[in-house]
Amino acid sequence: MLRYVARRILLMIPTLFVISALVYFIIDLPPGDCVTSQIDELLSRGDPDAMARADELRQMYGLNHPLWQRYLHWVSGIFRWDFGLSCQDTVPVSDLIGERLALTIVMETCTIAFIWIVSFIIGVYAATHQYKMGDYVASFIGFVGLSIPNFLLALVLLYVGKVYFGLSIGGLMDPEYIEQPMSLGKAWSVAQHLVIPVIVIGMSGTAGMIRRLRANLLDELQKQYVVTGRAKGLAPLRLLIKYPLRHAINPFVADIGGLLPEVISGSVIVSVVLSLPTTGPMLLGALKTQDVNLAATFLLFVATLTVVGMLVSDLALAALDPRIRFGASSEK
Amino acid sequence: MSSADLRYPRQTLWADYVRAGAGVLLCGAPLLALEVNPWLALILAAGFVLFALFLVRTALRHHTRYVLGPDTLCADGPAGAVVEWNRLDRLKLSYFSTKRDRSDGWMQLTLGSAGGRTLRIDSSLDGFHDVVERAADAAGQTGLTMSEATRANLRAMGIAVAGQEATA
Repeated sequence: MLRYVARRILLMIPTLFVISALVYFIIDLPPGDCVTSQIDELLSRGDPDAMARADELRQMYGLNHPLWQRYLHWVSGIFRWDFGLSCQDTVPVSDLIGERLALTIVMETCTIAFIWIVSFIIGVYAATHQYKMGDYVASFIGFVGLSIPNFLLALVLLYVGKVYFGLSIGGLMDPEYIEQPMSLGKAWSVAQHLVIPVIVIGMSGTAGMIRRLRANLLDELQKQYVVTGRAKGLAPLRLLIKYPLRHAINPFVADIGGLLPEVISGSVIVSVVLSLPTTGPMLLGALKTQDVNLAATFLLFVATLTVVGMLVSDLALAALDPRIRFGASSEK
Repeated sequence: MSSADLRYPRQTLWADYVRAGAGVLLCGAPLLALEVNPWLALILAAGFVLFALFLVRTALRHHTRYVLGPDTLCADGPAGAVVEWNRLDRLKLSYFSTKRDRSDGWMQLTLGSAGGRTLRIDSSLDGFHDVVERAADAAGQTGLTMSEATRANLRAMGIAVAGQEATA
């Protein structure tokens, strides 16, 4: 196992390096730069010094240097937790992302936990109660979750919350806690506000997982070894947990790695709709204004979380069932 | 039955040396040469320790030869150990795969005899099948109880174990 972990971590380093380079260069590809929109604003106001100001800003942000030099400067700063200046507010990127990144990690972690727990329970129930009322309800929830876009669900909940319950669903904390240091009250407020975004973002992922787990478990339950187990008098729950569930859960665990980028990208529009102070809306703004340092930093974090998530899911997959499956190659 | 000398393949060991060396260098160099944020330094230090451990383990494997005899399995090297077949009290054969279809994996054999150190052998060892076969034979003779996963893996390798009837 040590050999495998070492090999994977060694692969992660060049992978992240290539991703960071690709992201940085692609964000910079469209014509213009982050100063262009600011200058357009100055020109529209008839500022005579607009062009001089543009040169000043370009020098400040290092935009007068070639792209590869800017990239190397940005990438070398990562070790010092210095991601350069953001064009939007002319403040260091590290100052901008601090709390937003923490809130995003909390929200995404809760969403993934929600997806796993809910889909595991419903998926197993639906498979073991095939063609019964519970199975139909689970399938209905699955189809609804898959077919309704997250942002639409967010809009509906915003409307219902406001009109029928007088609740303000937007945001991730009560207004009095914004810009305040972390406290027990703030943590409680965040926990209360997390419920709706977690359900909204997790809905489609949960629906997909329920259907996958149900299908896998149904395949396993129809195999001969399960029939043999039943015939030998094994208790139904023991039989389910010890054999078919272990096999059926393999693709479920393998999906953990893929779930993370799915949840993060899916949460961007929801965060805009629900006014959540997470990285999503800021990333969207950074991409629109070609704020390369800010956007590339966010995307590098997403890439890092994804490759770490993939490693964790692969390790969990290896540890889950230390048996050869007949038909697969046995030794290497 | 005569003794057999078994070793990890040279090619595998050198590939591991290269990996471990590259990892130590990639994690250690920024720590020594650059000003690093304390949290990132912690991550890099953890990576450095992991690759250093991997390097040590590769070196141990390089300098260890396994002698498979009729009475014992002897790991002759810096971290040597002896497993006496007639006193075998630990046998675990695990298969690890990181793919959904459980293909392309590797096996690990854990062996131990009363009072002795535990031996762990990977399936990349030359003659791994012979060791597993001998261990299964010894387990059958001593009446050692094995886990369901170990029994399934032995069956998959075509090795029968006396007195270990498979359950569903």
